[in-house]
Amino acid sequence: MSVSHVPTSDAASPRLVANRVLVTLLCAGLLAAWLLPFATMSPNRLASGQTVGLGEALSAWQLSAFLALWAVLAIAALRRPLPRGLAHGVVLLASLGLLLITLYSLGDYAQRTLVERSPSARVSQGSAFWVMVFCCALAAIDAFQRASSGWLLRLGYMLIAGGSVAMLFASGHFDELSIMREYTNIRDKFADQFITHLVLVGSALGPALLIGIPLGLLAHRHVRLQGTLFSVLNFFQTIPSIALFALLIAPLSALGNAFPLLGEWGVKGIGAVPAIIALVMYALLPVVRNTYAGLKGVPPATVEAARGMGMTARQVLWRVEIPLALPVMLSGLRIVTVQAIGLTVVAALIGAGGLGAFIFQGLGQYAIDLVLLGAIPTIVLAVIADFTLQMLVVLSKPASTRR
Amino acid sequence: MIELQGLTKRYGDTRVVDDISLTVEQGEFCVLIGPSGCGKSTTLKMINRLIAHSEGKILVGGDDITTLPPERLRRRIGYAIQSIGLFPHWRVADNIATVPRLLKWPSSRIAARVDELLALFQLDADGLHDKYPHQLSGGQAQRVGVARALAADPDVLLMDEPFGAVDPLTRDTLQAELARVHRQTGKTIVFVTHDMDEALRLASRVALLNAGQLVQYDRPAELLVAPANDFVRDFIGRADLGLKLLSRRRVEEYCRPAQRTRNNAIASAPITWQVDADDRPMALLGGRLGESDIARTVVNPEWIATPEMSMKEALSRMVWFRVTALPVLDNEGRLLGEVTMSGVMGHRS
Repeated sequence: MSVSHVPTSDAASPRLVANRVLVTLLCAGLLAAWLLPFATMSPNRLASGQTVGLGEALSAWQLSAFLALWAVLAIAALRRPLPRGLAHGVVLLASLGLLLITLYSLGDYAQRTLVERSPSARVSQGSAFWVMVFCCALAAIDAFQRASSGWLLRLGYMLIAGGSVAMLFASGHFDELSIMREYTNIRDKFADQFITHLVLVGSALGPALLIGIPLGLLAHRHVRLQGTLFSVLNFFQTIPSIALFALLIAPLSALGNAFPLLGEWGVKGIGAVPAIIALVMYALLPVVRNTYAGLKGVPPATVEAARGMGMTARQVLWRVEIPLALPVMLSGLRIVTVQAIGLTVVAALIGAGGLGAFIFQGLGQYAIDLVLLGAIPTIVLAVIADFTLQMLVVLSKPASTRR
Repeated sequence: MIELQGLTKRYGDTRVVDDISLTVEQGEFCVLIGPSGCGKSTTLKMINRLIAHSEGKILVGGDDITTLPPERLRRRIGYAIQSIGLFPHWRVADNIATVPRLLKWPSSRIAARVDELLALFQLDADGLHDKYPHQLSGGQAQRVGVARALAADPDVLLMDEPFGAVDPLTRDTLQAELARVHRQTGKTIVFVTHDMDEALRLASRVALLNAGQLVQYDRPAELLVAPANDFVRDFIGRADLGLKLLSRRRVEEYCRPAQRTRNNAIASAPITWQVDADDRPMALLGGRLGESDIARTVVNPEWIATPEMSMKEALSRMVWFRVTALPVLDNEGRLLGEVTMSGVMGHRS
């Protein structure tokens, strides 16, 4: 007896496309490449320039590599011929390739063009560039979701992708690009503000954890406290960040004036201290809420068993409750860290410094490259923090349940 | 070993445990049973002070439990609950080592003890040692739970419906295993359940509770033949009282000498066993329902009895194979005697 191995669901289904998200992204990328400028060229830093399309900016081999990778992705989106598992792998590799080609081409174009122009001329990335980078990132994220891949593979992919982009930067490939020239001008200040940004985030997270975790424990132990505690913290969260920074100016400068010693420590209306206080206030709710939720999620039977075995209250907390609540607590930390990295940008408005300083300075000067020099590192920082803490959440679960 | 004296637990004005006094002797397997809300679990948890009692006294090994810090007391008393009580973030070995670690045993002694317990519960195969609780089957998880309770070799073991969440087949195996472990270790066990069959199977004494009060505290057989009142009779289940009684009896109590013959000549007695040279039964002569007395039925491995088998099971086999007698065999398969349908009626204590 012969058995047909044609999968019936495939044979019966008229659908040609298996991955509609990818098809949408590919269409968007192609449309952008065709209709939008890939780069712009301007005579100097502030003047607006003329636009350059993809066909004009890319060399012949770059364009063919671009189209070839695009075609590979298009095939991977189809139901056939690639089996699903393989298709996800192909999408991951091809989208990384496409991202690198896009980045490389832009730098290459800047190098080729500026050799023959005046030193003040500038080449910047156009909107098609951004759309294509965005589409590549989304295609990779989507492929990871579909493959429901393990954490080790995700970590490896992120390291390879991040590493290759970093290497392109380090090799000076982008040095002729407008934004990198801007960076060269402010290199020292950039390093300072970058560190300030990290210090602000760090000094907000420390107190937030030190205050928030005990408050979460308290809320778990004393049911009656919960209502008041959470409504106060929720109230903080509803104040817009700029308003909160502004609100803190008056009381803190009064405090700084009344007690000169505090003033010497930096307690005044503007600067780092009010910024940190505001960041802590925002960070408290997620920390407290996730600590509370994590502890509440520990099965009562497990706690009862721990007590029944003869653990003291402290042993129950440290050996059973906290380890079991840790994944949820760490996802709270993840929310708070990403949130603080973003909010610290606003803190530049009250003179706390950080990457936000470039953004506001750039906005004032109408220098878009300066704005990007503040914005892009902030985004990269947030993505790295998010990814790292996500990995920690996974690692904090028992080995066999990790995904 | 354990003495409850006028034990009472009040929540506001309701007395969930009301003036219970009973003594559990050393090595006894005491089952607390009753309808839900009767106070059996509360009573159990008062013994290791997970719940504080309102009135009365509890003595464990002669000491009033309130004279010890609760943690010290609990480390002396094994405690097992349903499998969800295992620590999900610890491996099987770590779970079992919980109390020895709290008692700060040296690690070599802990490792030896863990291996010993894994062997006792037949958990030593398959690398279970390093598995996490969610990787275990229901039955394995329960065994780990009981092993954990026994880890520090406590004299007393408290068990709160430990087999409540497993399927009937697994529960059967676990009960047999617990009975074996109880025989081997001689621990004093207090066991809470709402399942009468479980209670009758395991208990050496049953405490039947209702609405916080102790209704009857007796040996299982006494509970069956001399129920204190209608509540007890109803709770045991009137309909199959007789079968329940038989489930408590073992075949050896009913076993009587068998008539043997070496050839298949028609025997003088109504039931005669044809045996081979090694005294192994080969066939039953007569004794088949609905047939003439001269019927010869070849003994098959299914319709035999062993001395340890419950009479309920022996009776069930007689009914199923339509015979009025089963051969009782020893470990080597030799004929020890027989149990018969009419013999079932004969014995009553």
